Amino acid sequence: MVQDVLKKFHEAAVSPRAQMDKYMSEGKKVVLTAPVYTPEELIHSMGFVPMGAWGADIELNRSKEYFPAFLCSIVQSILELGINGAYKGASAIVIPSLCDTLKTLGENWKYAVDDIKFIPMTYPQNRKPAYGIAFTKAGYERVIRDLEALGGKYDPAALAESIKVYNAHNAVMRRVDEVLAGHPEITAAERSDIFRSAFFMTKEEHTALVEEFLDELAKTEASGEKLGIVVSGILTDAPQLNKIFDEFGMHIVADDVAAQSRQYRTDVPEGDDPLEALAVKFAEMDNCSVLYNVKKPRVQWIVDTAKARNAKGVVVVMTKFCDPEEFDYVMIKKACEKADLPLALVEVDRQMVHFEQVRTNLETFRDMLSM
Amino acid sequence: MLTLGIDIGSTTSKCVLMEDGSKIIATGLKIGGLGTEGPEEALEELWAQTEYTREDIDRTIVTGYGRNKYEGADGEVSELTCHALGGRFIFPDLRTVIDIGGQDAKIITLGESGRMTNFVMNDKCAAGTGRFLDVMANILRMDIDELDECASHSEKPASISSTCTVFAESEVISQLANGVARPDLVAGICESVASRVGALARRAGVTPRVCMSGGVAKNSAVRHALERNLETEISFDPMAQYFGAIGAALYGYRQLTK
Repeated sequence: MVQDVLKKFHEAAVSPRAQMDKYMSEGKKVVLTAPVYTPEELIHSMGFVPMGAWGADIELNRSKEYFPAFLCSIVQSILELGINGAYKGASAIVIPSLCDTLKTLGENWKYAVDDIKFIPMTYPQNRKPAYGIAFTKAGYERVIRDLEALGGKYDPAALAESIKVYNAHNAVMRRVDEVLAGHPEITAAERSDIFRSAFFMTKEEHTALVEEFLDELAKTEASGEKLGIVVSGILTDAPQLNKIFDEFGMHIVADDVAAQSRQYRTDVPEGDDPLEALAVKFAEMDNCSVLYNVKKPRVQWIVDTAKARNAKGVVVVMTKFCDPEEFDYVMIKKACEKADLPLALVEVDRQMVHFEQVRTNLETFRDMLSM
Repeated sequence: MLTLGIDIGSTTSKCVLMEDGSKIIATGLKIGGLGTEGPEEALEELWAQTEYTREDIDRTIVTGYGRNKYEGADGEVSELTCHALGGRFIFPDLRTVIDIGGQDAKIITLGESGRMTNFVMNDKCAAGTGRFLDVMANILRMDIDELDECASHSEKPASISSTCTVFAESEVISQLANGVARPDLVAGICESVASRVGALARRAGVTPRVCMSGGVAKNSAVRHALERNLETEISFDPMAQYFGAIGAALYGYRQLTK
């Protein structure tokens, strides 16, 4: 039954600590992976369980000892969880250098959380030229050395196998995104669970569960009439936000969300040197606010995707004080206006308790699209 | 066909009774928005103006920040939709609504047909809202309704540089201590609100005819400052504070006649 599988996604999505304890009780070592992109394939190949650390909707207290209060709440909540012991038992955390706030997270982590090793992953801005690929590869080699210090073993053959596992997961996530566009009866909250649970399960388990879900879904008929929308942003997993989407009959027909589809758009290409191939994957990734590209193809990607999926509008879910996303928003807004595609902007953060402004905004957007 | 629109704002409750979506029968307004007392007192004022009773109403629609907690309505709708409908009812060629309420500011743009085409809202910040004026009136020991007349005596509006209401409060106190004339300070405060709201309006796009709705619309100093800021005429109607409630009543009528 579809609902039975959705329940499994939900359980994994809301209980990352239980998932972590399960893996550790099986004798596995967990390595946390901070937003936005980390070489999970590499971590996986060295015998660790990579587990997404995207923070949580919590009150921020101790993190303010290290960050100005207004800084990105996703990053602050990751540090807060680190300080209050929510990640206890993890062997390390890999933090990439993809935005200014993430850079400071790594440096602060070293002093604030001394029982979980900080592993930096420094990416180049210019990732596509040969020198950019070499820079990325050097960053991965640094990660390998740090993971070896924790008992991991690097083996190119193992990495090649892990790449297959991750490419298969990418493919199934792209498929589920496409299939869900035709199933309005699957709620925004359920869709969010499918994507969020991927951070807390091994990719082998998650791939199997998504395949089971797709098999079950194929036995049912799509139902319900809703307003198709494309959602864009860093993170859209807040239960209250998804509840509002569902309450107003909005159907997410595609997403440009960093914690969702952006993770799965690009596969590692085939090659004799798997580490080189992994670096090439990063070079080939695009359409994301934290991946530098002066031509900003992301903007047209959103418009084209919205049209291809027959979306009535685009909702930008802006994480407050996220500079990369705010820079892109202006271009997205102009492109949507030019394409006659209605656009709404809502602001969220990890500390938000009251979603009344978001609710009013999306209710009005619903009216605008349907009146 | 009688429809009742109730707009429960953050500082004021308004209600309007309409007949056949075309005629305003009665209105009610009570300062004190959220909670049960404000809307009920506004309704009492409304019932006192008409022979109709609650039993005669075909549909009641509630809007505004208090809409979710109000029991006794047949439906609820966002205040932006209502301000667009209400504004267009008063000004049939309306294209831009600037709504400055007690807690926030919103800009709504309409197409030629009256269809809502865009909107922007300020987030949780009191700058550029009625609350900003409330705080400033309090510092100046004035009634909010006195600001308008006081500003009209200004010769050189003071500059209020702080965006944040809390910091602006300190700034106004400092300027008072430095002997800046009260009318100049009040005019500067109104200019400050206009500056914030003007920036918001430009984000949405401003097409004439432009009107103001919400309680702050009554303040001609803010209105004229906005006209200078946006370089466009801003229409005003004495019913501006009721646009949300009118829109709610019209929304109810549309539902009944759809």
